Amino acid sequence: MSGEAAVFARGLTRRFGDFTAVESLDLEVAGGEIFGFLGANGAGKTTAIRMLCGLLPPSGGEARVAGCRVGRDTGALKRRIGYMSQRFSLYEDLTVLENLEFFGGVYGLGRAELAARADELLPRLGLDAERGRLTGSLPLGYKQRLSLGCALAHRPRVLFLDEPTGGVDPVARRGFWDLIYEQAAAGVTVFVTTHYMDEAEYCGRVSIMVQGRIVALDTPAGLKARTGGADMQDVFLRLVDA
Amino acid sequence: MRALRCLVRKEFLQLRRDTALLRVVFALPIFQLLVLSYALNNDLRNVRVGVLDEDRTVLSRSVLDAFPAADVFVVGPVARDAVELERLLQTGACDLAVHVPAGFERDVLAGRSPAVGISVDGTNSSLAGRGAGYAGTVVMQEATRYAAAAAGAGKTAPRVGAVVRFLYNPELQSRLFMVPGVIVMLVTIISALATGMAVVREKELGTLDQVLVTPLTPLQYVVGKTLPFGLIALVDLALATAFARLWFHVPMLGSPWVLLLGVLAYLLVTLGLGLLASAASNTQQQAMFTVWFFLVFAIMLSGFFFPVDNMPQWAQWMTRVNPMRYFMDIVRGVLLRGAGLADLRGELLTLLGMGVAAFGGAVLAFRREGTRG
Repeated sequence: MSGEAAVFARGLTRRFGDFTAVESLDLEVAGGEIFGFLGANGAGKTTAIRMLCGLLPPSGGEARVAGCRVGRDTGALKRRIGYMSQRFSLYEDLTVLENLEFFGGVYGLGRAELAARADELLPRLGLDAERGRLTGSLPLGYKQRLSLGCALAHRPRVLFLDEPTGGVDPVARRGFWDLIYEQAAAGVTVFVTTHYMDEAEYCGRVSIMVQGRIVALDTPAGLKARTGGADMQDVFLRLVDA
Repeated sequence: MRALRCLVRKEFLQLRRDTALLRVVFALPIFQLLVLSYALNNDLRNVRVGVLDEDRTVLSRSVLDAFPAADVFVVGPVARDAVELERLLQTGACDLAVHVPAGFERDVLAGRSPAVGISVDGTNSSLAGRGAGYAGTVVMQEATRYAAAAAGAGKTAPRVGAVVRFLYNPELQSRLFMVPGVIVMLVTIISALATGMAVVREKELGTLDQVLVTPLTPLQYVVGKTLPFGLIALVDLALATAFARLWFHVPMLGSPWVLLLGVLAYLLVTLGLGLLASAASNTQQQAMFTVWFFLVFAIMLSGFFFPVDNMPQWAQWMTRVNPMRYFMDIVRGVLLRGAGLADLRGELLTLLGMGVAAFGGAVLAFRREGTRG
């Protein structure tokens, strides 16, 4: 397994009728890397992520995630990845702990394992005091941290985050990124999309997608040097408008 | 297995928190059973009969005496002449007027077919038709019996008009018929509608996506999602039949096990259809309209209000694809006729076939859902 990319795609394509949402995507993400997957709305980011998570079969090309072939080893693939969608999607009528137990439990974690995992995750997410609170009554920032916790409960190797910080204040976003760094330091590969260009700076490497294609892929510093942009915002605008 | 248990546990946790839904699911059935059974009750009872006896013979007396004996009628005011009798009916002092003309006994004994006048308040059409019919039967039966006795043993009795006979449920106890129908409707609505809504709600909230990225298989998801509502429908069925028995004295002549078998097959159909409706819908409103649309058809063509035998041929054909019709036959059969496994084999097998098709279709629909754009 050593040396194999955590996320690998070659020629990955998805068409909906005449429309090509993702066209011949090539990328390689190493284990423990934080990879920023950027692009304007409608550029095909979510479609690409849904394919990599096994939610959507590709129309062409191939991809491997955590050693599983996308579209083939779907069962094993789903066990090895965590996914947090751009829409907040937890059960609002369950408590914090119940949500965590549910999402851990459907991955096959036993009672004792779940309890241990909750004791480990909840303090780290800053949610220990909120265990018994109904999820619907939490502020958005808390809900997002819980979403992350639910995606992490089964110790995935690759974590897909689709706009995880939409709609929260900068302090909450900074806190969320601290959690992402912790995971990457522990060896989890993080594949993240965002619209906040300051967040793009936090990533090891970023790709920028325009109309279904990746137009640039490099470290933030490398991209700035190449495009002459002052910051990632500038880089993004130059590449997307080009 | 652990994952499935986890899903079912989650469903129950959510149900327990949804007190409004719980109230609807458990209290409403009893309420509905009570209200509908009384409201839809069209038993003939306490029909007030005004009488005019111009014959004043043994026969005319025994005819009029037969009315209170029939339980349905209460003999009210006695008129002195035809004008007064009509006025009694007009003022509402009686619902039905019986006029025995002079020479009635003589004509009966002579073998002629005399006519007893029966007038009825036509503004109540149900009472008019059935009350008059029943009153006519009372008169005819009494006259025939009397004539036969007078003719002596061994001789054939003279014919006294056409005798209408009520062989079964002579008082047409509609409640015996309605209560099982209400029970069928309850089981259907709760299982189909609640399941459909619960799944679409997950779609609306986005939690469906979150669940689809987990290793839960479509079969596990569909089973886990429907099991709680299936159980609720079973509890409701038990509650409703117990209540029907204790309150309305609706019997259970057949085996409860046959009923259980029937409801399990039927739930497979309704839960499967609820899931299919939710797979085809993106909002709870869409799911609700879809389910209701089919539900109205199913109820109308189930024999709940209108006997299937009275429907035109094409409609009778349509009832053959209506699962509710088969379940209605099973519930009424088991409760009222004591039908057993052998009698209901056709209905049970049909429902089972429909259930496997509907549920299998739902699993396939969710497999597609898992890989949708």
